[in-house]
Amino acid sequence: MGATSAPSLYLDPQIRDWVLFPITVVMILVGILRHYVVLLLQTPPKKLPRAAIREQRALMQSNVLRATSANSPIPFTLYKSISQNLSKAFVDGKYLKDGPPKGDAPSTPPNPLTDPQAMDGMMAGMKTQMVMMVPQMVIMGWINFFFEGFVLIKLPFPLTLGFKSMLQRGIQTPDMDVRWVSSLSWYFLNFFGLNGLYRIILGGDNAADAAQNMAASPFAAAGAPQPGQPQDYNKLFKAECDNLEFSEGLHKWVGEDVETRILRKYGRIAP
Amino acid sequence: MDISSALDRLANYRIRNSRASRDVFETGIPFLNNAQSKFGDESGPFLEQLALASIDVGRIDIAEDCFTQLTAKFPGSPRVECLEGILKEATASPEDALAFYEKILDADPSNAVRVVSGMSSCLPSNCTGLLQAAWKRQISVLRRLGSIDRVVEELSTLLDTFYTDVEGWLELADIYASCGQYSHALQSLSHVLLLAPQNPFYVLQAAETAYTSGDLPLAIKFFLMVVDMTDEVEGSPEDFNPTGITVRAWHGVELTARRLQKEPRLASSSASNTSSPQHLPVLEKLAKDMLTKAHST
Repeated sequence: MGATSAPSLYLDPQIRDWVLFPITVVMILVGILRHYVVLLLQTPPKKLPRAAIREQRALMQSNVLRATSANSPIPFTLYKSISQNLSKAFVDGKYLKDGPPKGDAPSTPPNPLTDPQAMDGMMAGMKTQMVMMVPQMVIMGWINFFFEGFVLIKLPFPLTLGFKSMLQRGIQTPDMDVRWVSSLSWYFLNFFGLNGLYRIILGGDNAADAAQNMAASPFAAAGAPQPGQPQDYNKLFKAECDNLEFSEGLHKWVGEDVETRILRKYGRIAP
Repeated sequence: MDISSALDRLANYRIRNSRASRDVFETGIPFLNNAQSKFGDESGPFLEQLALASIDVGRIDIAEDCFTQLTAKFPGSPRVECLEGILKEATASPEDALAFYEKILDADPSNAVRVVSGMSSCLPSNCTGLLQAAWKRQISVLRRLGSIDRVVEELSTLLDTFYTDVEGWLELADIYASCGQYSHALQSLSHVLLLAPQNPFYVLQAAETAYTSGDLPLAIKFFLMVVDMTDEVEGSPEDFNPTGITVRAWHGVELTARRLQKEPRLASSSASNTSSPQHLPVLEKLAKDMLTKAHST
């Protein structure tokens, strides 16, 4: 026991000064730099023509209407007139940006690759992605080239063998204590762990955190509906008509039997 | 008063969009010349807040000072442009202000808007975009000039685009009511109710509009809804003394119930096909009792 408790390995202080600190400092600085580069790359929010806003927000009208229909604050006659007007406007395509669709032109879903506006959005995502990826690849190459197989630091607490692959990447020694951390693993620990530090230095929503951007690929984002993504509003509006009709059936005015409710509450009629 | 509590109070007014102009003016005036150092990033919103408050209390000179600082800081910002319009409304003739807003709105051929989240909190009204802000100012100037037909037209277009603008719907209802178009006002109010079903004041307004338009069954239901929403009945309802808006609603219930009994023909002439409530005598008695209680204490 006495023999194993003594450190089995002595690290040169020069490793600390010339490898451990530089890797950490470089990663922090690159993160901060990346934050500012991303800020520079961000294009100002797109200006939307009035008709496009109207198109985007039209569905909100029916959402508001439908959300309240089961306990509606307005009586059925008023509800019905709003609802019918809305479905009629949807069917006629009154809210469409380019006016009602002409005749029987085939309604093809807009292709994101031909719409220049969508292309811009995708390019912006790619650019940010590049700013994320390139420095990480350079740093990893740098560490791999100069410091491969270095042991940098010893963790102050014991760990099970399961952590070996995480902490000793790049060192093929089966019987070294898991607490020793290799250079490449130190890079990964920083990569995922510096987010909190960035948040302190740069504030809440910074662009320095690489880990969270790794999960979201530009194409995954392109698939999901998001603002600015072209959608076939005509189709959405047509579908909304059915929903409106359905909600109309569910309509119940809260004032329907309010007088009996009040009288009961005040004990004037038998409950 | 120490500085940090003053700053907190001002920030609080900004977040809640309160129009405590006198207080904002008196608290904010010492910070006019060192806004940048005291507020940092918030200095822009603060100057805007102070400018609006100064216009309210009639100190145009201070407002102009704020405006000069803001223009130096954010040249060409549409938000500052909107403030300039408000300043023009206070100083120049309404025609000039109207021309200014029309210039802003037509500046971009597409009448573009930059929808910026978080920008709304400090604008005079709760707007999602700057187009909406300038647009609404334009409409209010139009109303001041008395061209009701244009106001209704512009306001309807605005509400068709920005449906969730409760303020706009209320304004439209008010305009209709001022012209005696109560059924149209009621339709506008029904949109308000859809958008803010939790606010009893809007229900009360709808009730009174329905009453005025002659739709008594609908009115009494709305009045009762107000009562239902506002009486905080804990335990026995008889112990409860109605206050504030509830009293007004009980008055409405009493009045409507009495008229419905006296002229039964009114019950069947409901534009909204609302069935007349049952137990009218009991309702009238209850309303009378509650009013006696409210006024005897």
